[in-house]
Amino acid sequence: MFEHALSVMIFLPILTGLVMLLFPLSKGTARITGFVVTVAILFRGIEIFLGFTGTGGMEYVESHSWIQSLGISYGLGIDGISLLVLMAGTVLFPMVFTIFKTQSKGYYANLLIAQGAMIGTICATDLVLFYIFWEVMLLPIFFMIGLYGGPKRIPATLKITIYTIAGSLLMLAALVYVAVSYHTQFGKWTFDIVQLSELNLGSGFAVWAFLMFMIAFAIKIPLFPFHTWLPDAYTEAPTSTTFVLSAIMAKIGVYGVIRFVVPVFEIEFARFAVLLSLAGVTGMIYCGLAAISQKDMKRMLAFSSASHMGIIALGVFCMNVQALTGTLFQIAAHATSTGVLFLFVGLMEERMQTRKIEDLGGIAYRAPIFATFFAIAMLASVGLPGTSGFIGEFLIILGAIKFNAFIGILAGTTLIIGVCYMLWMFQRVFFEKSNERTEEFQDLNVSEALTFLPVIVLILAMGIFPQTFIKKIEPAARQQIVKVFTIPQAQVADTTVPTLGHNNHKK
Amino acid sequence: MEHTATYIGLIPLFPLVGALVLGLMHMLTCTKNPFPEKLYGILACVGPLLSFFLALVVYYHLKGLPAEERFLSHNAFTWFAVGDLQVNMGFLADPLSSLMLLFVTFIGSLIHIYSIGYMAGDKNFGKFFAYLNLFLGSMLILVLGSGPVVMFVGWEGVGLCSYLLISFYSEDTDNVLAGNKAFIVNRIGDLGFVLGMSFLFWAIGTHGFDYLSLKANAHNLTPGIGIAVCLLLFIGACGKSAQIPLYVWLPDAMAGPTPVSALIHAATMVTAGVYMVARFSFLYAHFPLAGSIVAWVGILTALLAAFFGMFQKDIKKILAYSTVSQLGYMFAAVGIAAYSAGIFHVFTHAFFKALLFLGAGSVIYALHHQQDIWKMGGLKDKMPKTYGTMLIGALALSGAPLFSGFFSKDEILFSALASGHTGIWIIGVLVAGMTAYYTFRMIFLVFHGEPRDKEIYDHAKDAPPVMTIPLIILAVGAAFAGVLNLPGIFGGSLNISHWLAPSLVEHHPHVSIWIEILAIVTSIAAFAAGITIAYRKFGHGAEEPEYTGFAKFGYNKFYVDEIYNAVFVQPYKAVGSVISKFLEPNVTDIHVKLCTWLYQKAGKAFKVFQVGYIRVYAIYMVIGLSLMSLFLSQSLK
Amino acid sequence: MIQDYLILSVILFCLGILGVITRRNVFTVFMSIELMLNAANLAFLAFSRLHESMDGHVLVMMVMAVAAAEAALALAVVILLHKHKGKLDTNVFSLLRG
Repeated sequence: MFEHALSVMIFLPILTGLVMLLFPLSKGTARITGFVVTVAILFRGIEIFLGFTGTGGMEYVESHSWIQSLGISYGLGIDGISLLVLMAGTVLFPMVFTIFKTQSKGYYANLLIAQGAMIGTICATDLVLFYIFWEVMLLPIFFMIGLYGGPKRIPATLKITIYTIAGSLLMLAALVYVAVSYHTQFGKWTFDIVQLSELNLGSGFAVWAFLMFMIAFAIKIPLFPFHTWLPDAYTEAPTSTTFVLSAIMAKIGVYGVIRFVVPVFEIEFARFAVLLSLAGVTGMIYCGLAAISQKDMKRMLAFSSASHMGIIALGVFCMNVQALTGTLFQIAAHATSTGVLFLFVGLMEERMQTRKIEDLGGIAYRAPIFATFFAIAMLASVGLPGTSGFIGEFLIILGAIKFNAFIGILAGTTLIIGVCYMLWMFQRVFFEKSNERTEEFQDLNVSEALTFLPVIVLILAMGIFPQTFIKKIEPAARQQIVKVFTIPQAQVADTTVPTLGHNNHKK
Repeated sequence: MEHTATYIGLIPLFPLVGALVLGLMHMLTCTKNPFPEKLYGILACVGPLLSFFLALVVYYHLKGLPAEERFLSHNAFTWFAVGDLQVNMGFLADPLSSLMLLFVTFIGSLIHIYSIGYMAGDKNFGKFFAYLNLFLGSMLILVLGSGPVVMFVGWEGVGLCSYLLISFYSEDTDNVLAGNKAFIVNRIGDLGFVLGMSFLFWAIGTHGFDYLSLKANAHNLTPGIGIAVCLLLFIGACGKSAQIPLYVWLPDAMAGPTPVSALIHAATMVTAGVYMVARFSFLYAHFPLAGSIVAWVGILTALLAAFFGMFQKDIKKILAYSTVSQLGYMFAAVGIAAYSAGIFHVFTHAFFKALLFLGAGSVIYALHHQQDIWKMGGLKDKMPKTYGTMLIGALALSGAPLFSGFFSKDEILFSALASGHTGIWIIGVLVAGMTAYYTFRMIFLVFHGEPRDKEIYDHAKDAPPVMTIPLIILAVGAAFAGVLNLPGIFGGSLNISHWLAPSLVEHHPHVSIWIEILAIVTSIAAFAAGITIAYRKFGHGAEEPEYTGFAKFGYNKFYVDEIYNAVFVQPYKAVGSVISKFLEPNVTDIHVKLCTWLYQKAGKAFKVFQVGYIRVYAIYMVIGLSLMSLFLSQSLK
Repeated sequence: MIQDYLILSVILFCLGILGVITRRNVFTVFMSIELMLNAANLAFLAFSRLHESMDGHVLVMMVMAVAAAEAALALAVVILLHKHKGKLDTNVFSLLRG
């Protein structure tokens, strides 16, 4: 059982989900089944976290040959880069099943399948396996938004599905190119990421392959200007789907860049780093500004989430250990803050049938526990020290300053932009006068409070004792950076100007 | 050099635990049946008093050590360590922080006690004290932090509490807006702080990112980076300590309960910027250019705020502008490298300004939340204790000879003169006169003359002892705190300056006694002039004037708020709506729109081939097969 | 020798194509298709003879069987079409026009 911990975590929810779809269950049974499965996964996840030694290498490795003629294997493993992403994917799921009680059986089944596929994407060490899970991940999302979403769900579903699939296909093409290049260079087929990273891509096409990979991940993250599917999808999706999208799926995009793009395309990556980091910062500012004028709370949070993703992505492009560690930490921190804010909004919508900011007000007087929890998550999302949000943001800004002072200063403005829209929203929703609608607002009941309490405690614990987490991820980040910096400096030096197709590492 | 002392970690912990306990109690019971106020009050005062006790222990512990070994430190745990960056959750008690500790915990405790009376009957009594405890804990982290990052925790923590307490009466939109303004303006400063820290780290922080290591490596700084770091950190200080151009939040912050204004917006939090500059004296002393910028910003703020203070009619706003103005003095002091003079003024200011605010709070309490000085008058008979204590505070603030403010302000002005900053000295003397004028304008209008509103006057009476006793204690401090740093000319030996010496990098210039006398005489003259004018105009009752011309300009605070609103806030919102209404649907999405457009056009183009007749499809098939056969036969050859 | 058979087969096949393309009556189109099948059968047989193997015969049998089955199905469809529209003109059935 222990050597297959990851396989269990992947296939237990997927199989349960499929079985649930086949059998006629009531929604209560489906919810409880889902809850039990996700809690089991949660315990496995905690066990993995505690057992993780953090030496920088892969742990919990599983590897079986799958399609031998092409060197495709069933390879799973966890290292410092994927650890916290995996945690985000396991720890937060059970909450969805305890809070939202009114969804149908099919919805819960899809949630389980989504979780399994996401864990698969996070654990895969083989590019083909990664790609398969990556696509499978989209299927339940498609059904969850398309079947259970809001009134304008159909266009939103089509947009997210076609958009992300278009990106994925580019990635598939680039993936084949990488494998073929490896075959011509080493004379054998493999899709294993560790071996592929030894590849020395020589031809001018490498830039295109890099861009194809980057576009696929940029759409998923989403990086400016590929974020346009996000506001609609996040707004129209059922809240728990939005939560899954923002807390986990977006992070897998960032994770994909770190895991698959950086090791293979070091030189191209270094060449485009300035451009990409500008995209990250621009997205942060742009979406942050857009957030302030939103009237729908969920849409505002969607923009806020996109804004934070810009900063998180920036950490990857800065190519130093502080920024990268900051990103890896922020991946989990952001899931606990903005992800949880989405859940709170979902709760409010369930109780008051509205998400319009102007319809609300004075909730803090009726529901002190709810308001306190919301405030803590909100403060984490604006990066207040003592909460989980600060450490990552600080490290990313610190790293960005080292990378490029100008970008660092722009990145710093996230401190201001985030507070502006969050505080204004908090004022209009929780303070001021209450109205008939909010007079009736029920505070969190015991079971809800107990559901949220662990996450709130986690937010504070991650802010006060971040070293528990950082010491497990930092060695892996450092190894990654060392690898990027071992590229002959001359190769990078005259290539930092990003000119398309300009080929300057001919042998 | 350094000694470890585990117990200093407890100093911030007590109020924080208090905040947690009070907060939980309030959160869980406030909608049903809350605990009695007495319980909250007692629990709230335990933490601050314990901290005060420990601060005394720290003081005596330090005192027992030789001067250059007065550093107590405690590393609680590694907060985070990434690459070269090692940040410990560490605390450092040296002479500078121990002085801050003493008066923060002392005044903090007094204000907690006072608040029990002031807040009585408020339905959010528990919440108030939870926030107040949280504030005190954060402030103590700020003071005790062993490095800039830990200081930043407290720095943002006090900002949060300030926000929460300003918008405490949150049903009123204006109060919440004032809170938002405070938080956002502070965040602008914090951006400077974070950027300054980052540059500092990459310049000299890789060998340890705490004050002592930074101090040891400070000589490696290049002037360019050094000045940039100093100025960025000063932006942070501007935000927290309300200096030009970020002072606008402090007058609005008076929307909070009065004890909050006394504790946070007068005595402690707003002086954090001064403390920070003094903490980084090893940087600022190296780069006099950065120091002069600090000093000039400070003294100009002092002038501007004193000018605004002369026209205000809200008693708390007068005191708020006075605070901004006094903070300007402190920055002028630390800017010209007279750190101990600046910190000494922080110390005395804490006493007399807290006293004035609490006095004003008593007045407001007695008058049922009337804050307009043009509605008061003649209260000195009704509220003798308040009058007496506030008079002492006012004398100290305006620098009456032998009161605490006199010594500290004189020290600053003397340092400016002695170090050759004549411009700063002249403005400083002018501001001293203005201070005396607006302070006594307030005193005369509130306590002297005839009552302007009879009904309010009749109901006024002195506050209960729980409120007046702290006033009296503070009044004693405001009157005599100056004794602690008597200069040589008055037979003292600058005790505080000597005490602070190990923490600071400063040089005391040796100048002739005549310069010292000149400084003293001019500041006494300025005080006398200010108070005389105030007495002439307001001593025998006066009616609210209609301001015209330049005075009206000053009464409206040069329209700075309106200008900021027009230049920053409105454009910000406008950009937001342009993005979400125009850019987002029409421009940013252009690549997606282009793809769908191409797709549709291509579909339309290929549509002509789909005629629907089977035989046409058959022709296509034949053509296709023929071409394929042709191709195959060609390639087989 | 073999060329003659193949030429005949090609001629038959082309006639079939011509029929499919030019005629509008469903039955005629159908018969033209049968003609093409038989052209293919003829080519099979010719090659089978040439290579002296029975593989071609087997395929021819197969084609004939399938053609018979297809005829049965196609006639049924044609009857339905006639019922539906009352005509057997292929131009009437052009619902797939783009």
